[in-house]
Amino acid sequence: MAVAPKISVGDDYREKYGFYDPEKFIFKAKKGLTEDVVREISWMKSEPEWMTKFRLRSLEIFRKKSMPNWGADLSHIDFENIFYFLRASEKQGKTWDEVPADVKRTFDRLGIPEAERKFLAGVSAQYESEVVYHSLHKELSDKGVIFLDTDSGLREHPELFKEYFGTVIPPADNKFSALNSAVWSGGSFIYVPKGVRVDIPLQAYFRINAENMGQFERTLIICDEGSFVHYIEGCTAPMYTTDSLHSAVVEIIVKKGARCRYTTIQNWSTNVYNLVTKRAVAYADATMEWVDGNLGSQVTMKYPSVYMMEPGAKGDVLSVAFAGKGQHQDAGAKMVHVAPNTTSTITSKSISKAGGRTTYRGLVKVYPQAENCKSFVKCDALLLDGESRSDTYPYNEVEAENVTLGHEATVSKVSDEQLFYLMSRGIPLAEAETMIVNGFIEPFTKELPLEYAVELNRLIQLEMEGSVG
Amino acid sequence: MPFTKESVEEIASLHEEPDWLRKRRREAFDVYERLDLPSKIDEEWRRVDFKGLKLDGFRSFEEPDGAAPGLPIEGAAGVLRQRGSAPGKVELDPELAAKGVVFLPLSQGAREHRDLVEKRLFSEVRADRDKFAAVHAALFSGGTLLYVPDFVEIEEPLVGQYWSSGGGAAVLPHTLIVAGKGAKFNYLDEFLSPSLDEPALTSGSAEIFLGEGAQVGYVALQKWGRHAYQFANQRVHVGKEATARLFNVTLGSRFAKVRVEANLQGPGGMAELKGIYFASEDQFFDFHTLQDHQVGQTTSDLLFKGALRGTSRTVYAGLIRIEKDSARSDAYQANRNLLLSKQAKAYSIPMLEIINNDVRCTHGATVGPIDAEHLFYLESRGIPKSVAQRMIVQGFFGEVADRIPFEQARRLVAEELEARLG
Repeated sequence: MAVAPKISVGDDYREKYGFYDPEKFIFKAKKGLTEDVVREISWMKSEPEWMTKFRLRSLEIFRKKSMPNWGADLSHIDFENIFYFLRASEKQGKTWDEVPADVKRTFDRLGIPEAERKFLAGVSAQYESEVVYHSLHKELSDKGVIFLDTDSGLREHPELFKEYFGTVIPPADNKFSALNSAVWSGGSFIYVPKGVRVDIPLQAYFRINAENMGQFERTLIICDEGSFVHYIEGCTAPMYTTDSLHSAVVEIIVKKGARCRYTTIQNWSTNVYNLVTKRAVAYADATMEWVDGNLGSQVTMKYPSVYMMEPGAKGDVLSVAFAGKGQHQDAGAKMVHVAPNTTSTITSKSISKAGGRTTYRGLVKVYPQAENCKSFVKCDALLLDGESRSDTYPYNEVEAENVTLGHEATVSKVSDEQLFYLMSRGIPLAEAETMIVNGFIEPFTKELPLEYAVELNRLIQLEMEGSVG
Repeated sequence: MPFTKESVEEIASLHEEPDWLRKRRREAFDVYERLDLPSKIDEEWRRVDFKGLKLDGFRSFEEPDGAAPGLPIEGAAGVLRQRGSAPGKVELDPELAAKGVVFLPLSQGAREHRDLVEKRLFSEVRADRDKFAAVHAALFSGGTLLYVPDFVEIEEPLVGQYWSSGGGAAVLPHTLIVAGKGAKFNYLDEFLSPSLDEPALTSGSAEIFLGEGAQVGYVALQKWGRHAYQFANQRVHVGKEATARLFNVTLGSRFAKVRVEANLQGPGGMAELKGIYFASEDQFFDFHTLQDHQVGQTTSDLLFKGALRGTSRTVYAGLIRIEKDSARSDAYQANRNLLLSKQAKAYSIPMLEIINNDVRCTHGATVGPIDAEHLFYLESRGIPKSVAQRMIVQGFFGEVADRIPFEQARRLVAEELEARLG
């Protein structure tokens, strides 16, 4: 590990004199990625030194790592032409008029309240949910649950944070986890104490602030023994952003007997490269469930994974991808069986339309000592027209004894018989097709909280309009 | 003698090959020299371990040992036997010859039927595919040409039998089959050698062309000795309304890297790709299959079943590819692995690339030990465990062995499996 030369005036200055002049050192949004940028991000956030070093080391790793030579086409990402850190005030520079008409129309059709719309469109950084959040906050803190943005997590719970941060996904995992480790900002930090069940889903939505849904968000969730939490990231409504790269890292630790469910509904606008690393480690008898929906973005590469570290651990991924015009959803899951008697299931549903491309890419890996494991993978793809594309690449690597592994996949179009049946009952073609698509993804929607499920169905309806004929 | 330009000339002279074929060998040898060995970064080769294989350590061909040609074959319409690198000997039912059936050692075929061979040889199994395909094309040690004219139907199978008697050499037979319009026949390729200590480089590649409405069954039975490294490409070109049944049986060799591919080029075309492998001790088998639907209204159906014992390892990776304009195509793909020992490992990677929506595609893969419940059921009926296990494995292979296109091959494979289960 190279020790970065100490040239940051900021750190020193503050320590010596106990004050600094924010006007003088305010971070002017600069494009490109240099050590100075990384150092300044860290300094802006008044981070401890270990974090600054961690970021700098990650930057070095990022530079050394090559781009993935598989998966979606990433050749158009220009790392030098990206803002790696923007202050909230700078983010608010946009106006409602700049928001594209189709995004506005979708808000209309989904019936999203005015204030929320502005937030989703990136016009306002504040969404008036503070009140909801505060009452929730009290209930949670009474139980000892920590639910903060990740920056506050580092400030307020430094020891807990340091113990787990970067342990599940080290910076060297891949090029984009290294990038995130260097420039991360925002995200959620959650700790659920032993035996505590959090009954209502925790939504990033409630805990809104400027850094909530950042470009390089970093989420860390720790479920202590026997606890339960359901975390929801994103929302069904389109997230309009002018940032072209979203690269998040999500680390989850599920301890003995605990259960964690992580629901994502990703609906970035279609100019975004969404390259996310999500991984959980599950210990004895723990359960990790990823419920992962990908609707938006230009390119998504995301493979939520579960490392089953101790006997009895269980991993579950349920994912849905929808690729419309110009979109490539390269999504899937990774199940890594490290310990014996662990089980995993992956269910993937994908829909391609208007030239969109969906790819299921998954790995089931069973290490030599992990006997008596079971894993089952099921992928269903629906192609709505002749221009769209669906790929399935399931990798299975079994090195242990007495392992049962299954994989099944189907690719089809909306069946004529189903359409005929519905239409013979007086349902117009477009509506019938929408019903079939909604039925196809039902295993996914029924796992969502009601309001999300309703919105998702409505959104599919919108997406389906004009897809017939 | 390692692989050199001179060895290319020498083998071409041994077979008295025409200049155009000599030239083709030279070109392939240039490719061989130009290409590097596949790297582990390449997905296809990631799980392949050919450590200990020294390509330039082999003699470029095997001197005929003068022994009597191979084993007797019953009820064949024609037999070609080849030992080592010497041109094969052919027996063919004279009635078939009268009908215009051509069944010759490949080099003789190249001399006498240039029109049949020149445009097809190495057009489906291309020399530039990888270094091993290139060495095969540069130094192939003979093989077969079978041409069955339009509307000729052959009841009994034709058989090619290749025998390698020594280690240390490269024995690389190549089968070229051309089926005319509406031709119907079955063909069996057998690859045999004793097990020696010295490694050998072997192949067993085939190019099969099916004209309109042709129906061809092809079985490759690989029983190379346990010292052999096999690199083979078996690829069928399926024309309009034609039906190809390819059946690959891999039992021998220490190491086998085999591609089985169907190139569906005519509407109404159908390819059945089936396979059986039985790996034991430290054998390593790698199968890459391709169902390439280049045009619409085509069907492919693949089933590869394998049993593993000892510390053997197998890889199955299959791809169904449906092109943009290939509407109304059906494709099925399944790979089943039965782990009979605790140390055996099977990798299974069934892949799909679908660019048309008017299709039906399914694939499935399983890897697992003998189902304890099945065993319990049989044992509870008083059947000893070892017998019960044997029955289960037989049943496992039965599903696919029943699909071997013709009786003689079915019997042969059943005997082989029997012997291995005993």
